[in-house]
Amino acid sequence: MKKIKENNPMGVQKGEAIFGYIVLGVICVIALFPIIWVVLASFKGDLLAEPGFTLPKALVFDGYIKVLTKLGIWKYFLNSAITATCGAVLSIIMLSMSSYIIARFQFRGKKLITACLMATMFVPVSALTFPVYNLIKNMGLFDTRLGLIFVYTCSGIAISFMVIRNYFATIPVELEEAARIDGCTYVQTFVKIMFPIARPGIFTAGVLAWLQLWNEFYWGSLLVIDRTKMTVPAILSQFTTSFSTDYNGLLSAIVVIIIPPVILFCCCSKFFIEALSGGAVKG
Amino acid sequence: MNIKARRTLFITLFLLPTCICFLVFYAYPILQILATSFCQWDYTNMTSPKLLPMNDLFANYKYIFREYPYFWEALRNSLGWALVGVCIQVPLTLVVSIVLSKGLKGSRFARNVYIIPSVISSAAMGLIFLQLYNARYGPIQQIIQMFKPGYTENILLVPGVNFWAIVCAYVFFCGTTTIMLLGQIHAIPAELYEAAKIDGAKGLKRELYITIPLVKPTIKTVTTLAATSGFLLYNEVFFLTNGAAGTKSISYIIRELAITSTRTQYARANTIGVVQIFIGLILVSIINFVFSLEKRSHRNEVGR
Repeated sequence: MKKIKENNPMGVQKGEAIFGYIVLGVICVIALFPIIWVVLASFKGDLLAEPGFTLPKALVFDGYIKVLTKLGIWKYFLNSAITATCGAVLSIIMLSMSSYIIARFQFRGKKLITACLMATMFVPVSALTFPVYNLIKNMGLFDTRLGLIFVYTCSGIAISFMVIRNYFATIPVELEEAARIDGCTYVQTFVKIMFPIARPGIFTAGVLAWLQLWNEFYWGSLLVIDRTKMTVPAILSQFTTSFSTDYNGLLSAIVVIIIPPVILFCCCSKFFIEALSGGAVKG
Repeated sequence: MNIKARRTLFITLFLLPTCICFLVFYAYPILQILATSFCQWDYTNMTSPKLLPMNDLFANYKYIFREYPYFWEALRNSLGWALVGVCIQVPLTLVVSIVLSKGLKGSRFARNVYIIPSVISSAAMGLIFLQLYNARYGPIQQIIQMFKPGYTENILLVPGVNFWAIVCAYVFFCGTTTIMLLGQIHAIPAELYEAAKIDGAKGLKRELYITIPLVKPTIKTVTTLAATSGFLLYNEVFFLTNGAAGTKSISYIIRELAITSTRTQYARANTIGVVQIFIGLILVSIINFVFSLEKRSHRNEVGR
């Protein structure tokens, strides 16, 4: 709160405030309208008899009972959590190592490596669909979580690289020199001094990467075909066919699958927002 | 081992994982799609791509541009989504983050609510919008019927209209970029605003002359993200129309040719991949050019 006040030394004028409240209202409606409709509709017994945006006439829990007893939704959350977390952690460890080197050392080929890593930002993964699909198949990783983790580790490296390198660049060189004089090896300097200091930057990159992978659909639906190994976004693509005309079941399943991330987010919104804004916005 | 050798070893070891990842996941596939775009490679010779005869080396490109029925449709849609993404998402992100930075009562709540769609994934939002657009029970149909009584068509199958239906399913949800921009706005030193106040810059003027120029690098990032995510749109197309009624995107036709189709055309899918990378680079260059242009004209103004 203090910070916000400092940023607005003259306070907010009345006209601005009215406009501001309209914008806040509109974004809440935009974000909540689809979700609230799905929740309302999921309690309707016969959706065709009560179409549109209305309150359900009577609360029907059939869909939820069926979804929770039969679908085994936890399996998919577990798969998503495993692949997204492993992918993000591996990717961040790998990139904090290389971005430390790029930010701190002079060596031949540095420019080339930097240029290559930054260029990956402009390579759309869909253009590489077939080669990567083929690669995963040849490695014997098709239809395994390991294959997905491998792809997740390698994708989206440019943004993480940029965020972490920029953070390393802000750390004073003296800290490192002191550690070296005290007899730390290169690896010790990195593990004990630089990595802990760069934690805020690494967190930002990690949260961004994790959110990206948690929502990832393209590879998730392409590289895994066994339903028991699918991630949450991938299993969603099966819903329309597996529920076909059971609208109640379909909508209940959607609600069940979107609620845990929303709860998770509400619990850690402070953490997410601080990480995404680079620590500038307090949650 | 002397210090120099140890240093070299350390650098090499720490760079190695990233370099392997780059070579395996980016360099090799890019070379492969480039090379195979000049090959004959489809469901008839799955294991062995064959180089096209010299006099017909560009056969795949010719096929894509002249014969393949969906290429121009997909290109038009993808470029359209990129343009719409930039025109809507950039101003929206900017306005929302400036409003949020004012610290009005309830803005923390609104901010947290606005990120929810980004947390539940575009796949889930796609599926939800599929229900919203449903011709028999969706609320959107109900709204249309208020203006056009007796309207029963499925808007996802009406060419032209479905383009905008897909736009609405993703374009307003830019919570993550809004927070990134909000972070940058909060990082602007308060002294600048105090100075502006003394100079008499208030309200809109203050945002135009102080906030926006100072966060321009982030606005450029937001623009690039909006353009590329629109250009690469796949999830929404898959969930809402599955490519029906003129809504295929470039990513969609690549995946269809390479994997989903019963008569897979690997070489031609890779050819479209080459074209996609190329056009993506052009888009990014245009954005870079536009932003450098503004900087230059700004500098001239200051000079005068």
